[in-house]
Amino acid sequence: MLFRGIPASHGIAIGSAFLLKVEELRHARRILESHEEAEGEVKRFQTAVFSVRHDLENIADSMGDVVEGRQILEFLLLLLQDPMIKKEVEGGILTGMVNAEYAVSTTFRGVMEKFDVMDDPYIRERVADVKDVGRRLIEKLIGTEKEALNNLEQPVVLVAKDLDPSETAGLKPGQVLAFVTDMGGRTSHTTILARALGIPAVVGLQRITSEIHPGDTLIVDGIHGHVIVNPTEEELKYYRDVKARFMEAENLLQQMNPGPALTEDGNRIELAANIELPHEVELVKKLGADGIGLFRTEFLRLIQENGENEEDHYEIYEKIASEMLPKSVIIRTYDMGGDKFRTGLDTVREANPFLGYRAVRIGLERPAEFSIQLRAILRASVHGNIRLMFPMVTHVEQLRRLRDLLKLVQNDLTARGIPFDKKMQIGIMVETPATVIALDLMLPYVDFVSIGTNDLTQYTLAVDRGNPRVADLYDSFHPAVLRQIDTVVRVSHSQGKWVGVCGSMAGNPLAVPLLIGFGVDELSVAPSLIPDVKKMIAVVSTCAAREMAEKSLSIETGLMVRALVHSYVIGKYPEILLDENDWKTGG
Amino acid sequence: MTEEMVTVPNKLGIHARPAALIVRAAVEFDCDIWVKSPADKVNAKSIMGVMTLAASGGTAVTVSADGKEEREAVDAVVEIIKSGFGEEMI
Repeated sequence: MLFRGIPASHGIAIGSAFLLKVEELRHARRILESHEEAEGEVKRFQTAVFSVRHDLENIADSMGDVVEGRQILEFLLLLLQDPMIKKEVEGGILTGMVNAEYAVSTTFRGVMEKFDVMDDPYIRERVADVKDVGRRLIEKLIGTEKEALNNLEQPVVLVAKDLDPSETAGLKPGQVLAFVTDMGGRTSHTTILARALGIPAVVGLQRITSEIHPGDTLIVDGIHGHVIVNPTEEELKYYRDVKARFMEAENLLQQMNPGPALTEDGNRIELAANIELPHEVELVKKLGADGIGLFRTEFLRLIQENGENEEDHYEIYEKIASEMLPKSVIIRTYDMGGDKFRTGLDTVREANPFLGYRAVRIGLERPAEFSIQLRAILRASVHGNIRLMFPMVTHVEQLRRLRDLLKLVQNDLTARGIPFDKKMQIGIMVETPATVIALDLMLPYVDFVSIGTNDLTQYTLAVDRGNPRVADLYDSFHPAVLRQIDTVVRVSHSQGKWVGVCGSMAGNPLAVPLLIGFGVDELSVAPSLIPDVKKMIAVVSTCAAREMAEKSLSIETGLMVRALVHSYVIGKYPEILLDENDWKTGG
Repeated sequence: MTEEMVTVPNKLGIHARPAALIVRAAVEFDCDIWVKSPADKVNAKSIMGVMTLAASGGTAVTVSADGKEEREAVDAVVEIIKSGFGEEMI
């Protein structure tokens, strides 16, 4: 059986399916044999309640004085300890003689159904909370499947509704051959991570989790976005063959000369790497990147269980910066919120998280906490070539406040005699139309800008990139996006500031010639894409790129722009970099 | 057994946050406490129960308690309902 999804990370994998967390609230019923066994199940349930309570209390503590967040946590705690729910679950176990998972799932499903039919919308909205508590209990009862994932005897294809970016970050390439998910789009954060890890992935498959059984054999074709469940002998043979050819081509690319990225006519393009985890530095150096164009720091939040610790930050920044010397490292401050890492902070549900409390909006409201990260970056700046970048700056006031806060931290360091790089470059991400339109007003406060094309496209076109139903409207080649990139480059250069691109476009075979043509100074891509992008740059002539970029600005549709670039690069790019559908999709 | 009738005075009635306030007050007492609306009677210590009561603004509810400190318990819960949970009144 063949399923079509969105090709998220190139490569082909063949392996058996491992379903992660897809059971949610339906759990297999097991009939108990004896009364003792039933008592044992009640005990298990009570232990699970105890340990979920512990988890929730920890989250509540970590929220400090975020009132709404605490209220929600308190509500979850009340639900968890509700006497009616307790009675129903324990009664279900003892009289129904069923296992705790089953009793919990039927009870919670019943509660959710009750809430669902209530007239009061304020109460209906709480269904998600009920589900959350139920899910936490089930997870405790069955022991997390993630643990099972760590104890696998052979690598598997991971099948899930959706993967948290934090979960993706924990995947080891040797353990997971590929992953396929119901949700997600071509540029969701999870997808980007999959590429960084070099794991093939197909996302946006909508309902695949309900069609696959554990242990099914899967072929994952991350080039075309196909997943074949229980393939025939013929299909297996075909794909083994394709896989071998793909690997061969990949190896060839890896063996290339790690020199600078030069266009066909010898113009040097800065090609840097986006990294997420410190250990990626090693690979980045091997690939000969011109520095780190984007170091995402969100994972630091994950490893710090007991709040912010300046030393944890400092150690990592210092290590990366000194290892990369003399090349530069752009450290982006926390970009939490949106679809990024779940933290204690965003347990507050927002109707529009992408328009909500995220990135510097959080940082500016919690200056004491934010200063810890800034201090660590400043202290590390004397050990390498560090540049500081703020995400999601939409207002000049924010920029002023950020500079004031930075100044405050700098003054404090000076007073204490702690050295830092006084000339450290400061930049901002350009990821909203607001920033583009008012860029001339923001530039006096910064040394550089870096365009985050994924968010810029999403905010410009008002398309949620993770929603498979509208994902086809997402198009970074839309005239509105291309014109903004052109504007950013022109306005920035007129004020003597340099421009990078660190979104997915920088690694897109059809976008690279355009970005060069617009005059972008630096491209920053996932490490695994560096050899590919270097190849792409090598076949582009600056002059032709400029012509194409110029022309693209007056073309009506993204599809036509891609067709234009496609006709230029076809026959120039190594075959493997272009697949038949590339010019049709807008990622 | 002690009981007292009270009218839910806030506009939105007993939704999630007010329900949490009632439950938090009720669990402080050892006695059994109930809240009764024209439609249903529920355990005041159960967030599920109090929410499914879905008492809208203006509904008359009866708070009753049985056991140790039943008077104080009824007073405490009635007090919270009367306060309108710090929300906009009808």
